[in-house]
Amino acid sequence: MIETTTGAEAARGSYDAVVVGAGWAGSLIAEKLGRRGWRVLVLEAGEAGTQTWSGYLDSVRTFHSAVAKVPNSAYRHNAAAPSPDVLDLSPDASGSGEGRPEYTADGYFVQKGKMPYGTDYVRALGGAGMHWLGAVPRMHPDDFTTRSTYGYGRDWPIDAADLEPYYEEAEKELGVAGDAEGQRHLGVVSDSGYLYPMHRIPPSHIDKYCHEKLEGREVTDPMGDKRELHVRSLPQARNSTPAPEYDKRKGYRPKGAVGLPNYGERCVGNASCVPICPVQAKSTPLRVQDGFSDSVTLAARSVATRVLRGQDRRVRAVEYRSYNDPASPTSESHTVRADIVVLAAHAIENARLLLASELATTSGQVGRNLMDHPTTLAWALAADQVGPYRGPGHTSGVEDFRFGGKRRERAPFRIELSNWGWTWSTGAPMSNVASALALGGKSDGGVKTGGVFGPQLRSLLGSTIGRQLQLQIAVEQSADENNRVTIDPRRYRDAMGNPRPIIHYDLGEHVREGVYAAYEVSERIFTELGATSYTDHEPVDGVPPLGHFVHRGTDLTYHGAGHGAGTHIMGTDPNDSVVDADQRTHDHPNLYAVGCGSMPSVGTSNPTLTMCALALRSAERIHRDLAALSQPTNLRSRANAEEKV
Amino acid sequence: MRPIPEDTLRFVRLCVPLTGFAPFDLHATGMAQLYLDTARQQVGRYRLDTFLTELTEACTPLLDPSELSETDREIARAITYLWYTGAWPKLAVDAHADLRREMANTEFVVAPSTYVEGLVWRTFQSHPVGAKPPGFGTWGREPAELPPLTEIVQECGLAEQTGGSRPEEESTRGERSVPGGTRIEPHMLPGPRVARDVPPSALPTARAPRSERNTA
Ligand SMILES: Cc1cc2nc3c(=O)[nH]c(=O)nc-3n(C[C@H](O)[C@H](O)[C@H](O)COP(=O)(O)OP(=O)(O)OC[C@H]3O[C@@H](n4cnc5c(N)ncnc54)[C@H](O)[C@@H]3O)c2cc1C
Ligand code: SF4
Repeated sequence: MIETTTGAEAARGSYDAVVVGAGWAGSLIAEKLGRRGWRVLVLEAGEAGTQTWSGYLDSVRTFHSAVAKVPNSAYRHNAAAPSPDVLDLSPDASGSGEGRPEYTADGYFVQKGKMPYGTDYVRALGGAGMHWLGAVPRMHPDDFTTRSTYGYGRDWPIDAADLEPYYEEAEKELGVAGDAEGQRHLGVVSDSGYLYPMHRIPPSHIDKYCHEKLEGREVTDPMGDKRELHVRSLPQARNSTPAPEYDKRKGYRPKGAVGLPNYGERCVGNASCVPICPVQAKSTPLRVQDGFSDSVTLAARSVATRVLRGQDRRVRAVEYRSYNDPASPTSESHTVRADIVVLAAHAIENARLLLASELATTSGQVGRNLMDHPTTLAWALAADQVGPYRGPGHTSGVEDFRFGGKRRERAPFRIELSNWGWTWSTGAPMSNVASALALGGKSDGGVKTGGVFGPQLRSLLGSTIGRQLQLQIAVEQSADENNRVTIDPRRYRDAMGNPRPIIHYDLGEHVREGVYAAYEVSERIFTELGATSYTDHEPVDGVPPLGHFVHRGTDLTYHGAGHGAGTHIMGTDPNDSVVDADQRTHDHPNLYAVGCGSMPSVGTSNPTLTMCALALRSAERIHRDLAALSQPTNLRSRANAEEKV
Repeated sequence: MRPIPEDTLRFVRLCVPLTGFAPFDLHATGMAQLYLDTARQQVGRYRLDTFLTELTEACTPLLDPSELSETDREIARAITYLWYTGAWPKLAVDAHADLRREMANTEFVVAPSTYVEGLVWRTFQSHPVGAKPPGFGTWGREPAELPPLTEIVQECGLAEQTGGSRPEEESTRGERSVPGGTRIEPHMLPGPRVARDVPPSALPTARAPRSERNTA
């Protein structure tokens, strides 16, 4: 059972470590430290409630009744701890052709960049780990060295081999189902004996259909990069069949639903993993919180506002505000001391907190290098029924454009074969009904003619929805100092009075080339599949779609992937990076900033597994720091003790 | 159990030529009364009665939408959309103005259960996303065959009478036509979702595929 307490109650305790944020990163670190007996306080800005079964079902119903079934649609708006939402962005025709932005933003983020930052997150217990999809591929060794290997982006201070044991540990913590053999072929798993805790999620009919038509075919991208295509299974954090041989034949026991004893199943194919899995087959941070030891205190409705500096370079406390009513701005301030402070509030929130606290300022890099995986969509009608809207979001992908080749010239990309038809690109299947009926009127307000009804309608929809194919192509974006988060407390604050994130975002040339190549490759893939492409990125009635740009004379669009990264970037040099390889700030020996914000590059892998591996690695370091701090001999000279670990 | 009121029975009967589902299927959703109430609330009780009378006239037995007035045609679409998705759609501005209702012209889901009972999922033999899950690994199975148009017509009891636009027999299989002969025109398909906050009923329709646009 997960127990939460109030912010006021939590302020009365004393703690070895304070962790800000109860998403994947914060939960993993708190759990590890708690298990070693450290007294940990986890401050969670958002609402709890989903840890009980009735609260969880309430979220499922909220999702069912939402018109726009976007990632945040299962979670209610919270004025005390607002979240960015993909619904905040709108296209703006007045900017097109004049070099002004083609969008407006009206939400938590203040967006001032040339291009929209389309990534959201949710500030509630569990964080973005509640509405994530659960795709967990590892990064490839090349992804850690793009600067030295391909001449762009930033290198990591550690490599894939350093992370390998932590990848394995993270796969156990998250509960990953995957095909290790396929991942070895790709070169992302190197241990020849490694197995994932659970067997791969069975491939969808769409996977098999594409496999039959694509396997071994050659496709050349516009840069002349020729690749042989393979359809490969995707590792995912959702319950499948446990592998009996896992972990030297110890096997793996899948974790069930939180809040309902003895309930928990393999994925049953609800096909709504984003935003919510009704049976909790998809892994969420609630599972980790469920294992917190008694020495961990979890306070919800507690918004960290600042980290306070102590003597010398150390930080001494966290200041936070608690509230009782998410709709009202009334809140109460508290301060809690700790030996170690861990910021785990999400890339953008971590940057916001560091900036508001005026900490880690030496490099001038806090908030900079904001990244995402700009994702371009391609959609087509197959010649046959393919069975969309069944199973997890995607179960396989075409990984062949991820590594090597022309990566120097254009950003690499990962092609996901969607199991959910044209949902993301066109709002299908509901929008299919509307267009078949000729509903909604003409642009001048008039009623349309035509429309298909009755048996014809049923048969038309069956045929056109049942043949939907969609490719979601995630393109690597590398670190660029000009993509950044800033704050301006005098002008932009939320209802509680905290500074809102101001975002400057754009796509560099290398990414634009990648999006363009991805689009051309998608057209060639559809040709191989014998499908008719309906991909369309052109303005509609003069209004450019969100994320629209023109590259090499071709209209293109991208969406946010939800993969916010890079705002407290990791490196060896305190003058050009914020944290070290352990995610400890160079400037403050007892302040950590963990999460995707530390990543110097994101490759073409969804970032959470890598981020969790880093968090587990940092947990060991924090434990050693705490142990050193509590040694009587070191008490006199804490700064020295730090250097020795 | 209370008997189903006569006006609900009539509403369901008239919804058969709109939806292409038999009365049995429509009653089985458990939503008939709620949908009738929703339609009355949105359109107005008196106006809905007029519409239902006009609809009866226009079905012989299949519906020919050109037999309906513009506003009636939009009401017919809205009620069909309601059955298929569980949501009341955004109407053409002129139709909404003509109805003179105080309700805002926006799309809304009537209740969590109406979403789950949407008929759209059944057209391609699937289940609503996020509910009624079919079980581990089922997504790997070959999708079930779709019933031919003639079978649907028969199932709905719309076949016996003569007249109206009678569906043609089975024609060629292929990506641009449906069994029964309706040619798929791009405007029958949804177009790009220009922004996430546009409801499905207000999205643009598709344009011709790139291959055809270039040659045009
Ligand atoms: C739609 C969607 C799908 C995704 N799918 C995938 C996927 O398939 N695979 C993948 O790898 N990644 C995916 N991601 C990304 C993934 O969700 C994130 O990378 C991951 O959840 C980040 O974890 P985190 O713990 O660092 O941050 P978060 O999950 O954002 O957690 C931060 C926590 O801190 C809290 N917090 C914030 N500010 C404060 C404050 N001031 N005080 C106290 N608490 C605070 C928040 O409420 C939250 O609980 C997806 C994201 C989205 C949006
Ligand atoms: S497919 Fe369904 S059951 Fe499986 S993880 Fe997704 S939502 Fe859960």
